[in-house]
Amino acid sequence: MMLFNRQLIFLYFTLAASVGYLVTALSLGAPIAESGLTPAFFPTLIGGLAIVFCCILILQALRSGPEADPVEEGRNYTHVWVVVAIFFYIVAFQPLGYFLSSGLFVFALILLFSKFEKLLQKALISAAIVVVAFIMFQQLFGVRLPTLWG
Amino acid sequence: MDFIFLVFSSFSLLADPVNFTYVILGFVIGTIFAAIPGLTATLAMALLLPLTYSLSVETALMACASIYMAGMCGGSITATTINIPGAPSSMMTALDGYPLQQQGKGALALGHAALGSMFGGALGALLLIALAPFVAELSLLVKTTGKFSLLAFALIVVVIAQRGRIPQAGLAACIGLMLATVGLDAMEPITRFTYGYSSLTAGIDLMPVIIGTFAIAEVLTQASSRTDITAAAAAASKVKIRRRDFLPAWSDIRKIGLRCYLKSSLIGYFVGTLPGAGGSMGSFLAYTETVRTSSEPETFGKGNPQGIAASESANNAVCGGAMVPMLTFGIPGDPITAIMLGVLVINGIQPGPQLMADQAGLIAPMLAALLFSAVVLIPLTLWLIGPYFIKIVSVRKDVLYAVIALLAVVGSFVSTYSTFQMFMALGMGILAFYLRRNGFPVITMLLGYILGPNLEEFLRRSLALSNGDPTTFFTNPDSLFFVALTLVFIYFLVIRKPAKTPEVAKTE
Repeated sequence: MMLFNRQLIFLYFTLAASVGYLVTALSLGAPIAESGLTPAFFPTLIGGLAIVFCCILILQALRSGPEADPVEEGRNYTHVWVVVAIFFYIVAFQPLGYFLSSGLFVFALILLFSKFEKLLQKALISAAIVVVAFIMFQQLFGVRLPTLWG
Repeated sequence: MDFIFLVFSSFSLLADPVNFTYVILGFVIGTIFAAIPGLTATLAMALLLPLTYSLSVETALMACASIYMAGMCGGSITATTINIPGAPSSMMTALDGYPLQQQGKGALALGHAALGSMFGGALGALLLIALAPFVAELSLLVKTTGKFSLLAFALIVVVIAQRGRIPQAGLAACIGLMLATVGLDAMEPITRFTYGYSSLTAGIDLMPVIIGTFAIAEVLTQASSRTDITAAAAAASKVKIRRRDFLPAWSDIRKIGLRCYLKSSLIGYFVGTLPGAGGSMGSFLAYTETVRTSSEPETFGKGNPQGIAASESANNAVCGGAMVPMLTFGIPGDPITAIMLGVLVINGIQPGPQLMADQAGLIAPMLAALLFSAVVLIPLTLWLIGPYFIKIVSVRKDVLYAVIALLAVVGSFVSTYSTFQMFMALGMGILAFYLRRNGFPVITMLLGYILGPNLEEFLRRSLALSNGDPTTFFTNPDSLFFVALTLVFIYFLVIRKPAKTPEVAKTE
């Protein structure tokens, strides 16, 4: 469907966000008061400009017609799984501590970027990466990382 | 003159083992990241940004300078040997470097690339050292209205420089500006766009923005593209290079000519001073100029060392040029200088006209490291470990991106010790990933985010000083100068529409 290709969906989303931004900017008050600019002026201007650019891009995309989607064949969703992995890693980072959460995270990412084989070897590599990164952050950079033991 | 002496006396800081180690490490890391196709020195610097919390400002900036210089020359290694430029700025090098490699003269091509990089990098750094104090003095003449016009000029140039995708660049800049407005207003005690989240009151931190935009977005891009570097690794394993092969013959250097090195370096330097232009634009312009003025233009693209010299001299000279607006006005010229600006800001240093006068002692070591990297490290590392650099592409992709993701996410935790910044980095990574995927230049978004607060502040201050009269931007000479400059750029880049921007320049 021409109205809903991948790029247009992104532009519709950006347009909706820009409209939301502009509405919030307008709710801050009048952009100009007593010959001076208020905190609402700049966001109003930027929000308006963003909407204009979004509309131009949407019109351009609609006028150029449907494009062959290069990812149709062999569509790949690994990046979505990477986002999910990062999300759960952040959620688990403090409750589980650095070692456990990072070990699972690195192991998961190695699997996502490779084949589901040689699991023991990959688990050992993950452990080594986590330990080296810990030494680098905690000992070299002086960063306090959360641990299960306090 | 005092500043020049200060820079040269700062070379003594390199005698400190800690500084020296970080400069060498920075150079090696920058080269490795620039040499691996898909990774950039910008990513290396984004990942090392958390390091600046534990280092002295001078050491951190010296390391950044060496990463920058390494990033510009490292891309030539894979561009020459396997025809895959490690960095966009080395695209033009591949045109003549790879044919030379096919003729069995790959090491010689790398030698020419190193010589050009050394010349361009050194000249760019010297020009920076010599001219930056004068530019800083000149910049003192720029008052509030002029500062607004200058920032607006920088942002407009960054947008219109993206020929063929100006609306995308405009929208990306707006997104950056929108992100910059989150948090406490600069002039009045009210919060904006926090939507009730107290964590957003202080605004969106620079650290997660940089880490998300460069590191996390890169991991997501690689995950979605499934680019297989196995072929590159296999090609790399077949390449055999000996150290003595790197030395170009004096007759070859004379044939290239001092004029070519000099002209290309100057082109690179001045392109570098333009916001958003970058190394790929510099090397493209220098290369085309060299072809244009050559007596044998038909030999380019077939292994002419002059093409390599022009491209590499220019992209390394960009380093010096891009630092001029960054140091004197706080306007970064490219992604790496944007991160260097972040290092300065994180350490409480505000770039601007006063920087050279008040905190020259902090800046001088960085410029010394930039010159040192160009003159000493480029030839030294190529000679010492050049034959092994090509094997870098053999690094396992799964391990590589897992390490990058871990460093990025944990690195974003460092600034505040809160998981909020980690979520923010993830959010920025997703945003940057989709922007890149849909053809939006993320550097424009980043510049919008960086320049946004000052742009708004100077706009409001200017109008407050003129009692709301917008003609103040046309009546003040400093402001009028930048308005006129903006119009000149609009004329040449949008209305007159000269030669089409090459794809190589668009990729950066």
